[in-house]
Amino acid sequence: MQSTDEATGSVASQYTDHAYPLDDLKPYPMPIRVVAVVVAWLVPGGGHLVLGRFGRAALFFALLAGAFVFGLILNGRLFWPVADTEAALGFDLVTVLWSFAQIGAGLCYIVSYLLGIGTEFQAQAATFDYGNTFMILAGLLNYLVIHDAFDIAAGRKH
Amino acid sequence: MHVLMMALYAAIAATVLAAVEPGAETTRERVIHGLKTFGYFLGIGLLLSWILYPVPW
Repeated sequence: MQSTDEATGSVASQYTDHAYPLDDLKPYPMPIRVVAVVVAWLVPGGGHLVLGRFGRAALFFALLAGAFVFGLILNGRLFWPVADTEAALGFDLVTVLWSFAQIGAGLCYIVSYLLGIGTEFQAQAATFDYGNTFMILAGLLNYLVIHDAFDIAAGRKH
Repeated sequence: MHVLMMALYAAIAATVLAAVEPGAETTRERVIHGLKTFGYFLGIGLLLSWILYPVPW
């Protein structure tokens, strides 16, 4: 006769809340983790590409690079910290925060800066504020995507 | 124009948030999570705009 533990154990394995077995989760080697995180910052979705998540990589690249380029088309501008002697830390806090947000988009920010696209404030354009918002959105969401790539590489999720 | 931009913003954010959601394990769960998030973005945005409309500053 089966004990209660044996009976529940054999049945429990058939009724799992997870769509996939949790023991499938395996951490990637450290060099791949580092490469995934760095590439994820440089190219939105690049980290997922390194880890073989091609569908999500394409989705993130299309959405985040697309949002950044859309922001530039709407005459958004690239932010960088502006010195302000009257501010507490010597920099205008808004420009520091917005720069941090946009730099999250990695190469999108760097290439735009090097090409001189979006480096000038275009207040005459009615859509410049929409543009700034989309560029900030792209950078901030990419920080989340970098975190997701790290979690996959560390074996915490599929 | 403004509502259209808000909807586009909400769609992009909701899609990414759904794709990285650790609690959702199937595509169906991700789609439902994304649609809910999109709805919250739009609903709360419209509610806030309605509340703030009479504010003169």
